[in-house]
Parts: sequence; structure tokens; C-alpha cells
Amino acid sequence: MEIEELRKQFLKLNFDTAEFRVDGDDIVGFSVACGETASRYTDASDPDFQAPPTFPARFHGRRMLPSDLPLEGKIPLDAGKAVMPQKAIRAGTKLVGKSYLNEIYEKTGRSGRMIFLVSRMELFDEAEDLACIVDSRMVVRERPAE
Amino acid sequence: MTIASFDQVEFGDELPSFTPDTGLENVRRFAKAAQMMAKRFTDHEGARKEGLPGAMVPGVMSQAILTAMIHRWAPEAALVKIDTIFRAPVMVDEAHEVNGVVTDLDEETKTAEIDLTITNGAGETRVLGTATVRLP
Repeated sequence: MEIEELRKQFLKLNFDTAEFRVDGDDIVGFSVACGETASRYTDASDPDFQAPPTFPARFHGRRMLPSDLPLEGKIPLDAGKAVMPQKAIRAGTKLVGKSYLNEIYEKTGRSGRMIFLVSRMELFDEAEDLACIVDSRMVVRERPAE
Repeated sequence: MTIASFDQVEFGDELPSFTPDTGLENVRRFAKAAQMMAKRFTDHEGARKEGLPGAMVPGVMSQAILTAMIHRWAPEAALVKIDTIFRAPVMVDEAHEVNGVVTDLDEETKTAEIDLTITNGAGETRVLGTATVRLP
């Protein structure tokens, strides 16, 4: 896989759009299980009730990567996740997630080359405001002989 | 002591560590709320059949546990960004500790940068990350 070629073909091109509904019970279950104690995340009757900031990381589109990305049979592994909240997300909100590859880069070590693919999902609310950005970092490993 | 404002934070401050509930029942509760009911998260035997040593805590849950620690320390902190690296699995039903330390402060934006870790009982770092938070 040539990095420059991959960048030219795939960066910044939308490959998935999906809709999600934010459920109040899910917000409470998610928050309590993770040890949140603030009532704005754990109590649906709180006037400021909202999803905790990393809640949108649970949303997945239909695809994590473009269908025509030439992975040559390799399975990308989860290397990390970044979340950048932009505004409060309330129960009942419908979100639209639009995904594209935001970064493609490589690192080479003793065990061979690793290609990092950063898939970005931008989540928009009903007012079409950007509510959150979630970056999923995936890594594809190559052995030195490849 | 909880933090109410940026002025109370100093470089090098350690956030109060806490032991998250990584028991199977709680992870199932999370998985249900996050719609991540895969056996590798919710069932030790099912996870073993997938070649894992046992059920593991979802990465999304580990990240949210780190955020919860920040809110316990500074209830009004607004998360600007959190970036986490899942270095190794956080195993269900094993004790883990969550820690954080303030590594940078920006007075102009009233933001603090915090290094975060989740370590297991053997002291091995399983998840690490960095968060930027804005304080009143």
C-alpha cells in the first residue's frame, strides 16, 4: 500500500452516513456504569440532563472504513479513539454521523511498517450544528518481508 | 477536595484516583446502554471462544471511566478533547486503578491538560491518554 496514493484516493471523502437516536435510559446506564456522579449525566429529571461527553464514541456507522480501501486481506486493529465534544447532546436528539478518512500515516519499527488510518465521524444534530467529532484510529501491520 | 475553578489547579496536581467497577455485571450494564452486547465484552466463556483470555472492558467504557474521574475531580470541567490509546485489554473482573496528573495549564483559555492512565493490579498500563478540559 502506497501512502501517498491512499491519501489521494481516500482522504476527506465521505464513505458513510448514518442516523442515531439518543436515548435517555442509555445515557443513564452508560454514565452510572462508568462512575459518573454528576446528576446532569445520571438523573433524567435534572434540568441540565445530557449525555456525558464521550457518549457519542459508542455510535458506529455502517462501515468503519471505505469499502474499496485496499487492505489486502489485513484486518485493522483498534489503536485508539479521540472525542471532541462541540455542544451538549440531550436525550431524544437525532444525530446524523458522517464519516471520512481524516488522516493516513505510517510508522516503521523493528517489527515492520504500521499504517495508521484515522476515521473521523462528525455528528450533527437536528439543527445541523456540529455536536461532536469522534476519531477512531486503526492500525494495519505489515511484516518486514512485505 | 473538588476543583471549582481554574485558579485552584496547579501544574503537577494529581487527580484523586479511583477504582472503577469492572465487574461483569457492570460491564454488561454498560454494553447494554452502549449497544455493544458482543460476547467478548459480556461473557468470559464467549470471549475465550474468540481466543481472548476472558471478557474485556470495551475501549469506549475505559475512555468514559477516565472522563468520569475528571468530573469527580472538577465537577464543572468541560471536556475539550480526550485522546486515548488502548495499549492492552482491560480485563473484566480484574481490579484496575485510574489516575491522572495535570501536565500543562493555559491561563488565557483556562484549560488544563491531563495525562491519564488505567493500570491493572500488576501495575501494567492498559490504557493511556490525554485530556484537555476548560474550567470556570
